[in-house]
Order: sequence, then C-alpha cells, then structure tokens
Amino acid sequence: MNSSALSDTLLDLIRLQPNAEKAVAYLTQQADAYQHQPTQAVFYRVFTAIPRFVGKQTLTVSSEKAQEIKALRDGFSVEGWTLDRLARVWWLLQLSSDDQAVYFSTIENLFKAAEMNELAALYSALPVLQFPEHWRFQATEAVRSNIAPVQDALMLHNPYPAEQLDEPAWNQLVMKAFFSDKPVDQIIGFQERANSSLARIAVDYAQERRAAGRSIHPELWTLVKPFVTEANRAELETLFSTHGL
Amino acid sequence: MSFLDTIRGMKFFDMHVHMTARTTDDYQAMADAGVVAVIEPAFWLGQPRTGVDSFRDYFASLVGWERFRASQFGIRHYCTIGLNSKESNNEALAEQVMEILPLFIYKEGVVGVGEIGFDDQTPAEEKYYRAQLELAKEAGLPVQIHTPHRDKKQGTSRSMDIALEHGLDPGMVIVDHNNEETVKEVLDRGFWAGFTIYPFTKMGNERMVEVVKQYGPERIMINSAADWGISDPLALPKTAALMKERGISDETIRLVTFENAVTAFAQSGQISLADFEQPIDIDQSQRYNGSSVLRGGQAPRVDKSSTIIK
Repeated sequence: MNSSALSDTLLDLIRLQPNAEKAVAYLTQQADAYQHQPTQAVFYRVFTAIPRFVGKQTLTVSSEKAQEIKALRDGFSVEGWTLDRLARVWWLLQLSSDDQAVYFSTIENLFKAAEMNELAALYSALPVLQFPEHWRFQATEAVRSNIAPVQDALMLHNPYPAEQLDEPAWNQLVMKAFFSDKPVDQIIGFQERANSSLARIAVDYAQERRAAGRSIHPELWTLVKPFVTEANRAELETLFSTHGL
Repeated sequence: MSFLDTIRGMKFFDMHVHMTARTTDDYQAMADAGVVAVIEPAFWLGQPRTGVDSFRDYFASLVGWERFRASQFGIRHYCTIGLNSKESNNEALAEQVMEILPLFIYKEGVVGVGEIGFDDQTPAEEKYYRAQLELAKEAGLPVQIHTPHRDKKQGTSRSMDIALEHGLDPGMVIVDHNNEETVKEVLDRGFWAGFTIYPFTKMGNERMVEVVKQYGPERIMINSAADWGISDPLALPKTAALMKERGISDETIRLVTFENAVTAFAQSGQISLADFEQPIDIDQSQRYNGSSVLRGGQAPRVDKSSTIIK
C-alpha cells in the first residue's frame, strides 16, 4: 500500500466536500506543524480535536473517487463515513512509522483513551495502518465491544478482519454480527471464509433459537450449506427451512 | 392485580445481579418485592479497563461501598470475585489482575470465585479460567461460571469438562446462563444450573416456567443478571409470580428463587440459611467512610406510592 498516495487521495476527497475550506486549512496547517514538532502531545491533540474544526457532515463520494481509493487499498471504502472520521483516518496516515515502538504506543494510547467516534475512526483505519499483523488483538476488542457503531466500524465494509483474523476470531466476529443484528451481507469475506467450525456453531445456534421459539436468520444457512453431508442434509434443511426461510 | 400481590410474603435471593450499575430506586423496588439478598459477581464494566488499579478499586467497591449501600435497603450483599472472560484476553493486564485476586477472594462475604469462564473461547480465556479454578479449589470456594452467548452449547460443555479436569466437585460449581439446550447436560453431570431472566437475549420467564415444570427444582436457581443493559432487577420476583400463577408449588418456587442458591453458596462458609432469620436493621443514617446514601435533607425510605416527589 502506498500510504502517501492514499493520504493525498483522502485529503483530496476532503477538499471536494461542500464548504470544506476551513477543514482543509486546519488539517494542512496541523500537518505542517506536526512535521516541525513531531510530538505525541501534538498528535493526540489534533486527533481528538478534529470534529471541532472539520465538522461531522456525511461524505459525498463519487464513484470515481471510490474506485481510486480501492485501487490504492483493496477493499477499503469510506462511503457513509462522516467528515471527522475520514479526517481522523487521514491524520493517522501522517504518523511516521520509522520508529515502530513509538508508532505502536502512540496508536495504542489513542485506543485506550478513545470515546465512541474515535474508536469508530481507529477501527476504520486498521486496513491502512502499518504492520497490519500487529493490530489483530485490537481488532478482536471491537468484536467484544457492546457499542454498535464501534462494532460496525470493524465488522462492516472493512477488509481488515477477513485478511488478518485467525479462524476462531473470525468465527466470533461472524456470530457476534448475528447476535447484534448486523447486515451480515456487508461483512467482507462472509462467504469466502465459511468453515466447518463456523457451520457447526451456526447449527447449534439455530437449534437454540428453535428451542427458544425464536426466528432463525436466513443468512445462517449460507454458512452451513457448503458443509452439509448426505447424513445430515434432511435434518438441516428442515431446521433452516421451517424456521426463518 | 400486581405481581407483588401474588408473591407477598415470599423472600428471594438474586444470585447474580450487578448492583454497581443500578440505582437506589432499584434497591428499594427489590426490597419491596421481597429480595432479601443478592450476589454480585465481578464482571466487566461495558468497556475494557486499561489498568490494574481499575480492577482493584472495582473489587474493593464490591466488598465495600456496594455492600453498605445494599444494607441500607435491608438487602444482604454478597459477591464473587474473579477476572471475567472478556478481559482475560488482555494478557498483560490479566497477569496483574491475577496477582491481586488473593487479596480479595478470602474477604468476608465473598462467596465464590466468579464470574469466570468463556466468552470467545480463546486460549487466553482458557488459561485464566483454569488458573482461577485452581484459586477456587485452594480457597475451598464455589465457582460461578459465566457461559458464552455464542457457541453456547459447546462452551458450556467445555467449561464443565475443564472444571472436572481440575478436580473440582460439580457440587461446588454453579453454571450460569443456561437455556433449554444446555440444562440437561449440566444437571446430569451434577452441577448447579443457574438461569438468567434477561429480556430478549437470555431467557424469558415463560420459558423458565416450562423448564422448572420439566426438570423440577433440584439444583436449579434463577437470577436477573441485571446490569447496565436493558435488564430487570425484579426479574426474580416476577418469575416467582408467574410460576405461582401457572401452578408451580410454593415449595418449588422457594427452592429455585431462594434456598438452592443459599445452599450452593453456603459452601463458602460465608452465608447460611440461619442468617436470614434475623432481618437487617435498616438505618439509613449510617455512614460508610463518612458517606451516607442520604443526601442533605433527605428522609430515609422514600414513599414510592406517592406521586409527589419532594
């Protein structure tokens, strides 16, 4: 991934938003200041204060721009984001990764002190951070979260989990998505990462829902179908067809 | 007719409720509905803690201010202490929490190690679950097990397998948050089976009535697990009322809403049936480290039936 090209493209997208002059002025000025004085204090202040200076309007993204972004980082998309979230992700791209330890501690401190919108921005940024394998545990913390916008930022339209999470963590993400009523078709890799353990968990879950007299989500069948055997076909088709399809 | 009329004179032991997340209104409503005692298992706070001092202060509040607050409403407050499954995944922090647990689990009124067990069923969760089973065994304390929401059936079986592997007597282990799919195995293997009446996610109380009809009262206990989510601290009295309306005997109701929980946790030596023969004297003018639940000019015990709020 070419971080500096992506950074330019994202700033350009900010520039294209209505009434974005002040936001762009603030961000470029802060980036210059940070270049001259690259301290954690400055980095934290800007990351936290961004909504005050750039606003929170929802982005308008042309299909050309969306394509351009995807070409720079496969699977990465910003549609539906607010301007402050995009600006925060852009700001994270300004952090130098030359000193790996400082890079890690700076971002980890942001996670520790983050409020909800900051967490959403941080998890949205995982696909564009350096050292992608380093953030695997942090990603599972978003799955553990009980806060919907935080879960969404990691689970939906985000290429990071399918690329980086191991099978148990991936399965946990998918099941948590069902438990928290997410639009599971927006999970990148939902079909591609189907596996036999997840199929078994989905079957247990469907049986539990049936015992509780609750409906069974039709997309669970997507997870189960590739792993049906001749021995259990009839039983499973009945379970999934009479309770939810 | 109010459910309160159906259960008048009954007393309840809510063996799983997170009172730190609740208000004094809840305490008062619980007391009015016949809840005489609660167990507050140590859990997470809705978001992850970032340092060991946050755990220390939380554990200290469970045996300190929260117990005192409960007593001001005539409710006996016990707790179980442990490192919850979710936060076990932060291993650097989990190690530090394990170091301070012995400072708390031997305290008066700590009736078990809990709530521990699995959330995601990760290796880190398993590691600290096992370590805490050893702590419980050494201390001779019951264990209160949280079973996972996701992959529940296997998670529940595995929690019991591991407890047995560590040589725990199933009679010392309370497996919580059961449902229709897990209860049979838990009872068959000799463990205590807790049921949580929690709207939409865990059990509804009509389902609970059916479970009690099918399995009888032996080793079954019911709780609210009320916390900072949409939950109901009166779930236990309401379920008792529903059981009575649906023809379950008073004796069975008493066992599943009171006595079984006392019997199970009495094994800690920190609680006994005899304790409940003497009511707690409520004196809301008492103080804890100089703090009272009363604020300037407040009268003890607000009359909840009055529409006037003074």
